[in-house]
Amino acid sequence: MVVAQVLAVVIFIAMFVLVVMEKIERQYLTLGCGAVMILVVFGIVMHSPDAIWKTLNFSSFFQPDFWYTASEAAESSSGINWATIVFILGMMVMVEGMAKAGFFRWLCLALAKLVHYQTIPLFITFMILSSLLAMFIDSITVILFLAAVTVELAKLLQFNPIPMILSEIFCANLGGSATMCGDPPNIIIGTSLGYSFTDFLVNTGLIAGVGLVAVIFYFFFAYRKELASAGGGNVDLSTMPSPTSAIGSKRDFAFSCVIFAAAVALLATHSATGLTVALIGLVIAVVTLVVFWKDALELLKKVDYKTLLFFVGLFIVVGGLEQTQVLEVLAGFIGQISGGNLKLMVAIIIWLSAIASAFVDNIPFAATMIPVVKTLAAAQGVDPSTLAWGLAMGTDIGGSATPIGASANVVGTSVASRNGYFIDWKNYCKTAVPATVIVVTISMVIIFVRYC
Amino acid sequence: MKKQVIIALGREFGSGGHYVGEKIAEYFGITYYDRRILEDIAEEKNIRIEYLEKYDEQRRNVFFSRSVKGYTNSIEEIVAEMQFEFLRKKAASGESFVIVGRCADEVFRGDERLVSFFVLGDLEDRIQRVSKQHNFSREEAAAMIARHDKSRKKYHNRHSEVKWGDSRGYDLCINSTRLGIDKTAKLLEAFIQERTGLEPAKK
Repeated sequence: MVVAQVLAVVIFIAMFVLVVMEKIERQYLTLGCGAVMILVVFGIVMHSPDAIWKTLNFSSFFQPDFWYTASEAAESSSGINWATIVFILGMMVMVEGMAKAGFFRWLCLALAKLVHYQTIPLFITFMILSSLLAMFIDSITVILFLAAVTVELAKLLQFNPIPMILSEIFCANLGGSATMCGDPPNIIIGTSLGYSFTDFLVNTGLIAGVGLVAVIFYFFFAYRKELASAGGGNVDLSTMPSPTSAIGSKRDFAFSCVIFAAAVALLATHSATGLTVALIGLVIAVVTLVVFWKDALELLKKVDYKTLLFFVGLFIVVGGLEQTQVLEVLAGFIGQISGGNLKLMVAIIIWLSAIASAFVDNIPFAATMIPVVKTLAAAQGVDPSTLAWGLAMGTDIGGSATPIGASANVVGTSVASRNGYFIDWKNYCKTAVPATVIVVTISMVIIFVRYC
Repeated sequence: MKKQVIIALGREFGSGGHYVGEKIAEYFGITYYDRRILEDIAEEKNIRIEYLEKYDEQRRNVFFSRSVKGYTNSIEEIVAEMQFEFLRKKAASGESFVIVGRCADEVFRGDERLVSFFVLGDLEDRIQRVSKQHNFSREEAAAMIARHDKSRKKYHNRHSEVKWGDSRGYDLCINSTRLGIDKTAKLLEAFIQERTGLEPAKK
């Protein structure tokens, strides 16, 4: 077993290093490392077809629980988390349909008009909008549209968009932490440990809500000088882009609004209805494709299959660590340091997750930490949900600290820089690091008070 | 209408590549671009030129940058992409030009309007030129050459499948020490004329 463990760790570290190097596309890397894990570790060293079968986890598709669960807690499984893959695929199809209908651009422009294009109300409105949208839509899409509209308005209204974009990025990551479907780590945590949308909303959602209030005040004070000096004053508001100009087809726009509302309703009630997130994802995708049948092929082509394949490979590699019981060693180590003290365990998990997620992709990190949390909770006799909320908040918020910590940060800073508003590490971290520390501290304190 | 030609010229630091490029542009009466394209980009996008210069022809820091769906936080890569876009626009407008560096050999690879060169030089010759130009000691000049060549190589190889200075990636690679800079320029002009039929500018 020691040889298998060493090899599994070597493959895992090699995957991480190669992903950082960006020499090869990341989906090929995780799939390649996954293939090596299956062949070498499970096949040659362990001679275990059972480990291969468990990790590939194809059988989950044929279990009724995968689509419909009568009990509130879904079955937790190891290996490839197909529920996450199917759900994210469904959401991607829906988001492509909404983008095509002009929903996001319309929403941004309509809100800007509502606040009469005044810089400070716009600043606060876009932070709240970013958080609310990111609760249901992937943060990359949210930031892509928000940052683009922010730059467009900044040019017309003559203000520096950097403070606004940096605040929007932070809020997108914060909003993502509030729900099960907001950020990939949450969907992986939820489906792996059997938590529902409501579980997340009443736990991480509450923390995110408090965090949002805190960061609105924080960013407002951090950027008060820039905001006070913003705005040309002599801008003709009739030259502003009209919200309705974003809508190509009224029919498509109306349908995309209905599908989005239905998706939110299905997710919010899924613990009561028994519909799993995998089924919801599939239904959303099918309905979107039927409604946009003329553009169905185009929507399917736009789906980010690379990310889905990246997930598949990643789950196999993490499955390797799980099957070789490497993660149990890590869990044992955390248990030993904390000496069974739940507060210390939470503090270690939340800060370890936050610091790691600031520098490495939080998705592989969360996927790796889930088995650790499961083992730690079982060994120490504590409620796994307490540790899970710590893990979710740590990974989701920690990613906000640096320009490379989360996908939204990369996309947001890139959109700004491409338009000539360069955001370097110093600019970014100056406000993002204190904001991250504030929200992670708030999260830790709330978890201590509520659950420890 | 005059035939459109894009002349991409890669160079080792101190090989006289810039001067060769200027001579070619002057001979054919076409535009010469080098790092001065940054001025145009700075004006168009309302950016401070010093900011662009800081990141010009630099390679991204692998530990401090990340790419997501074609977006990157690396300012080095964004500045490079701005320059590639600028060159593509110029090419699309029908303009003929000489471009020194900026991975232009890669930007226009496969384009029949492209003529690509790589100018190198003997190290001793390059040290002499750089120390004279910058009033540097021999050691300072050698260090500057090593630093710039390393940076250009990394920048080029990040954006191109073909390695920097690999003869298979260019129409012609030439050592400017052998003929001297002026004759090197003459030889390349003759090559361009033969290959593209571009006529020299009327004096």
